[in-house]
Amino acid sequence: MSASTFSRTVSVSGMLAWRALILVRRMPAVFIPSLVMPLFILVATSGAFHGISAMPIGTSSYLAFTLPFATIMGAGFAGINAGMTLARDIEGGFVDRLISSPAPRMSLVAGPFAAAAMRSLFTTTVVLLAAWIGQLPPPGLLGTIGIYVMAASFAMATACWSMGVALRARTVQAAPMMQLVVFILVFTSVAYAPRDLQTGWLRTVSDWNPVTRILEFSRTAEFQTMTWAGLWAAIASIAVLMAVFGSFALYGLSRLGND
Amino acid sequence: MNPAIRQTVALARRSINSTFRFPQAWFPSLFFPLVLMAIFTASFGRSAASIPGFPHVDGFLSFAVTGAIVQGVLISAVGAGAFFAGDIEGGFFDRLASSPASRSAILVSRLCASVLLAAGQATFFLLIALVFGATVQGGVVGALIVIVLAALLAIPIGGLGVLLALRTGSAEAVQGMFPLFFALMFFSSTFFPRETMTGWFKIVADINPISHLVEGMRVQVIHGVDWQAAGTSLAIILVLAVLTVGGSAINLRRRLEGDS
Repeated sequence: MSASTFSRTVSVSGMLAWRALILVRRMPAVFIPSLVMPLFILVATSGAFHGISAMPIGTSSYLAFTLPFATIMGAGFAGINAGMTLARDIEGGFVDRLISSPAPRMSLVAGPFAAAAMRSLFTTTVVLLAAWIGQLPPPGLLGTIGIYVMAASFAMATACWSMGVALRARTVQAAPMMQLVVFILVFTSVAYAPRDLQTGWLRTVSDWNPVTRILEFSRTAEFQTMTWAGLWAAIASIAVLMAVFGSFALYGLSRLGND
Repeated sequence: MNPAIRQTVALARRSINSTFRFPQAWFPSLFFPLVLMAIFTASFGRSAASIPGFPHVDGFLSFAVTGAIVQGVLISAVGAGAFFAGDIEGGFFDRLASSPASRSAILVSRLCASVLLAAGQATFFLLIALVFGATVQGGVVGALIVIVLAALLAIPIGGLGVLLALRTGSAEAVQGMFPLFFALMFFSSTFFPRETMTGWFKIVADINPISHLVEGMRVQVIHGVDWQAAGTSLAIILVLAVLTVGGSAINLRRRLEGDS
């Protein structure tokens, strides 16, 4: 890729990301669920499963244990939104117009990808504020950065997955498929209980699930007990998700307009 | 056979057939409750017994199965309401209204179909739980109580779905009430006992009728047959049914009279 193509890709991607963020204001019905759901998870999960805090989960508060689950789910929703926006643009003909313009094709996914990361910053902030109102001590500067980075990374990975689905299905009706995989990935990790408490099939699945390391590192960031080993495991997990979902999205992009 | 009954049976059969024809109509009501039940059992199975206030159970799966049943009934009954709204959107309701078909059959058939589907669903969930090691302390009678209560629960929930369908005429609007039910379930003892909750959350769970409804079913599985608890569940279902089915009947009449 030449320098001028690269700078044009960055410029168009920036504009598309901005457009995706503005859509939040124009179509709040699309964005509100992605904001409400993480808050719902934070409040409902910590309240319903409060009894689990009596178990060795690394903290005496199940609200504290649930916080990273809520931020990661919020990030997941931000990623799903990217796919839904792209699907809507394909249905509405916006993508066709963009393909026939001199805009670099890569910007079609790079824009929503960046917007997903930015949206996740917003949902993470809201969840952290809600937890603070719920009298959870703030996680400190490094811990907060760790939580934000994990959420943004997960948002970008799930954006790739959702855009890959959108590029194949080319309809917003495929939204349940985008959601299903994100839900399953998060729920079969350490969302509700640490691995030491898990039994049977879930223990095996969560051992292999990349989201487990991301959530575990978010928790250590929250409790300010981060380790290099945990960080590397989380980075490796994000890399795996990005490689798989990124290839899925890019392959879908390469086939767009071919048929 | 009385023509109204014949029409009710025919329309109920159509509702059941249309449910099975579209996987998106029945798949979520089986898949999501089963997945959540499996995840919660594997997450909390080891620790639940040692949590202060947690009832003595043979295994977490025995505790969780009734929550899954209620969740499944809620999802499928909302789906039934959405299908009814789809009939309004697609014009089938208008064709039915302009035919000599019994007016009550339009409403009753949809609820009958929901009841039958809920009974099948509850039986399926109980069988799955039994296969994976759950025990029903109430035996066959306890299992039958759970199935009957689950089937009857489809009446108020289905009634609410039909009520919303009649008022809005939009399948999307009916589907939109699912998050409300999901929230109501989480703010109750559907997934975890009230005895382990604290503060305002426990107060909400205490006054949430879904808590008492689920507990009346759950006790049959984890402790044994308890007619009083079953009666409490039944009373809650009846009160909700009177409200929602009554509201549906009023709105059906209004729509048929062209008032809405």
